[in-house]
Amino acid sequence: MTQTPVARAVNWNRLQDEKDLEIWNRLTANFWLPEKVPLSNDIPSWATLTAAEQQLTIRVFTGLTLLDTIQNTIGAPALMPDATTPHEEAVLTNIAFMEAVHARSYSSVFSTLCRTAEVDDAFRWSEENEHLQAKSRLVLEEYRAASHPLKKKVASVFLESFLFYSGFYLPMHWSSRAKLTNTADLIRLIIRDEAVHGYYIGYKFQRGFEVLSEAERQEIKDFAFALLFDLYDLETKYTQDLYDPIGLSEDVKQFLHYNANKALMNLGFEGLFPESICQVNPAIMASLSPNADENHDFFSGSGSSYVIGKAVATEDEDWDF
Amino acid sequence: METAALEKPQGAFVGLDYHALNAMLNLYDSDGQIQFEADRQAARQYFLEHVNLNTVFFHSLKEKLSYLIRENYYEGEVLEQYDAAFIKRAFQRAYGHKFRFPAFLGAFKFYTSYALKTFDGKRYLERYEDRIVMVALTLARGDEDLALRLIDETIAGRFQPATPTFLNAGKKQRGELISCFLLRLEDNMESIGRGINSALQLSKRGGGVALLLSNLREAGAPIKGVENQSSGVVPVMKLLEDSFSYANQLGARQGAGAVYLNAHHPDILKFLDTKRENADEKIRIKTLSLGVVVPDITFHLAKSNEDMYLFSPHDVERVYGVPFSEIAVSEKYREMVDDVRIRKQKIKAREFFQILAEIQFESGYPYIMFEDTVNKANPVAGRINMSNLCSEILQVNEASSFNDDLSYSHLGADISCNLGSLNIAKAMDGGDLGATVETAIRALTAVSEMSAIGSVPSVRRGNDESHAIGLGQMNLHGFLAREHIHYGSAEAIDFTNIYFCTILYHCLRASNALAREKGLSFNGFSASDYASGEFFTKYVSQDWQPEHERTAALFAKFGIKIPNRAEWQALKDDVMRDGLYNRNLQAVPPTGSISYINNSTSSIHPIVSKVEIRKEGKIGRVYYPAPFMNNENLEYYRDAYEIGPEALIDTYAAATQHVDQGLSLTLFFPDTATTRDINRAQIYAWKQGIKTIYYVRLRQMALEGTEVQGCVACSL
Repeated sequence: MTQTPVARAVNWNRLQDEKDLEIWNRLTANFWLPEKVPLSNDIPSWATLTAAEQQLTIRVFTGLTLLDTIQNTIGAPALMPDATTPHEEAVLTNIAFMEAVHARSYSSVFSTLCRTAEVDDAFRWSEENEHLQAKSRLVLEEYRAASHPLKKKVASVFLESFLFYSGFYLPMHWSSRAKLTNTADLIRLIIRDEAVHGYYIGYKFQRGFEVLSEAERQEIKDFAFALLFDLYDLETKYTQDLYDPIGLSEDVKQFLHYNANKALMNLGFEGLFPESICQVNPAIMASLSPNADENHDFFSGSGSSYVIGKAVATEDEDWDF
Repeated sequence: METAALEKPQGAFVGLDYHALNAMLNLYDSDGQIQFEADRQAARQYFLEHVNLNTVFFHSLKEKLSYLIRENYYEGEVLEQYDAAFIKRAFQRAYGHKFRFPAFLGAFKFYTSYALKTFDGKRYLERYEDRIVMVALTLARGDEDLALRLIDETIAGRFQPATPTFLNAGKKQRGELISCFLLRLEDNMESIGRGINSALQLSKRGGGVALLLSNLREAGAPIKGVENQSSGVVPVMKLLEDSFSYANQLGARQGAGAVYLNAHHPDILKFLDTKRENADEKIRIKTLSLGVVVPDITFHLAKSNEDMYLFSPHDVERVYGVPFSEIAVSEKYREMVDDVRIRKQKIKAREFFQILAEIQFESGYPYIMFEDTVNKANPVAGRINMSNLCSEILQVNEASSFNDDLSYSHLGADISCNLGSLNIAKAMDGGDLGATVETAIRALTAVSEMSAIGSVPSVRRGNDESHAIGLGQMNLHGFLAREHIHYGSAEAIDFTNIYFCTILYHCLRASNALAREKGLSFNGFSASDYASGEFFTKYVSQDWQPEHERTAALFAKFGIKIPNRAEWQALKDDVMRDGLYNRNLQAVPPTGSISYINNSTSSIHPIVSKVEIRKEGKIGRVYYPAPFMNNENLEYYRDAYEIGPEALIDTYAAATQHVDQGLSLTLFFPDTATTRDINRAQIYAWKQGIKTIYYVRLRQMALEGTEVQGCVACSL
């Protein structure tokens, strides 16, 4: 009979890896709920989109919902058994929860802007779209319990830092044209989170990668690039499916290359795509910054910059007047 | 007109549309330089690709004007006040300045939000020059000389009317010219109902509305003697929030509102909790702005780490016979604490300040008005108990009372204010500050005289009796940087002090001249510190001259004369003899939109970033370079987060002492700040005599490793 291991309480005052606390602090300060964004201010601007543009937007968001759902229910939990510190587990639970908030927030967009039938159609579409399903399958495959811990992380980073962005492109594109700006605020809150998630999981990957033998490293690296090629292939088709009708595919693909490189860099690898095909439209690029530094006007939106602050009581010396 | 100077985009800029070109401003080039040229190209492309292709063409001015009047675009009455030859001259005068927008955002903002468009919204009927002429002709009301002066001041960028005036003047289908409204609510259903109606009416006409909630009884207070009946201020806030968003859907401009509550109102914590990140949907307030009125006593209680008592407004009104907002809480505090007839609750004063800071961290709200500071500095009779949507309007009001059918049994006085701002750099360049101020004061006074808000009689009465206006200032940081002076330095504060002192002198001089011309002063002048001469004591008993040679040299360089004691004495005599036409003269608004059009830095704030990322409902996300900035003078463009709260507060304190109303002061913190840092800044601001605090803004930089490479706004 195996002995039940000793239950250990997580002690945040004994850190094995400072990064865990840094990320924990960042993620908790960045906590948010979709209700804070006045999405209903986008109703007039939604009405200015053509039927095709509306359908595209709903589909893109449904695709994103699917990815967030995977990450929430399978992806982040799958990484937990491999955690090397108890604090890493805690961070992963936060990541899992925020992915659920993200998935939830697309529904807030839908319920505010769209009719139920349109949304139901889009959800059906997401179940039937072969490219979307294929890329989900590829990632899910690697999340299996038996998979190598680093392979799971590779899949997770690709999802967080690469696969999301074909979808993120669209709201950034709209907002640079003064459309759906509050929805874009909400998406930027998601980007703010995903940027940290991809970075953190990539960081943990690199720590695990460092201690491998040369041969093992080569195997993992080959695996990563192979998976990226497969995902890239699907992502290109998915992009064409979605964006060809409004003529944005070429632009989105440049963006895919840029983000694929970024995902590889999160894993500590060199970029794959040459600079010349990573020429992201400056309007998208500039809006992508996960910084919370936008100077919004408070009367039309809530902005994406507020965080939960650290409360510290004042002392007598502060009241010296 | 702009096409004459247009060149084809070259080099790296080929093939990009204006949004992409504008966004390049936020990305460094390969040599690490900010790409200012990309933004200039964006402005050009915008005209080439968009404006010129979408502007309705007319063969002549005459054809254009008669079309616009016939089709109900322009108000014919405005043009009928002038003869045709003069009108032609006025337009030629404006076009003769050869105006060009220096930054993309200025042009984009103007054409998106201000220019007259065809009714289907598709094509432009006006250029920038046309708008300026129509505003000038409207406000000058037939006075040719004033019209031309106003055209010169506006097109040169020295004076910029606030959005409602600049957007609406001369148009047939338009909202009001006034910027903002402040309404009192009293502790009865008639006043609340009438207040909501007024909020709807005023939002429909396109102004920001603030409402005072301090007088409403708290949650759980008795109604008609029955205990636990009142639901307090939060449900009223909900009603107001929905009212504003309803009016917003019909109007051209977003409906926006604010509510103010005294810190010693028992609902204060519930009021603040409406902005919590995890607030329940039933009580969450998303778009309504909040403001808290804080008396001195609250600071003293916090200093001695005491409890602060919260007083039921219902009981206070019964005991003192006047609404809660008429009571100086600091004065009556101990008396009210000991009065058994007033029911009260208590919280820890320091905890209150900490909660205030927590909510500011999460939401940027509430604004703060330092009640006693404001009232001590108020030169006219009456009490100031609230501010407005941008926390720069500080005027006295008077309660109304109502009959059952909502008609007035006593018509009180509520507040309105029309605003306009000087561009400090351009006003200094102009060399004749007195003339610039006088033209501005006459333009703002015209707005007051031309406005009669019939739907809200208390506002109409307030405006008729006071002719209150608010002349603001902007581009302080832009000016200082251009002159190679660091914002917040001793020279900068010295300049701010003397500049505002000089502005005050000219404002009073202009309003005094108006009183003489019209033979009329504002209602209540005789009971004011102006009439007694007391207001002038500080100006005639000491010299207000630059302390630093550098500052003195700056005024000398532009030929700006600083009034001496004898001139102040002469002005004092004139004012005591002939009065002032305007009860209020200055207020420094935050200047969002108009500072972009005017190519200014906002208000007297430091810049928020070298390249500002601006997001608004109508324009989306656009990038704006700080005025006069180039790759050589970047060191003078430290942003508000680098400069820190103290230098900012010191700058505002120097200006505040010469401004009769308020100045919108935003505090900026990095996300590493704690609530204690915010509290310390509030204490410092209060100590330095600041009247109000507007937003608290936070900037969180991306975690190292997740940032976008080569982004200007991301780098420190």
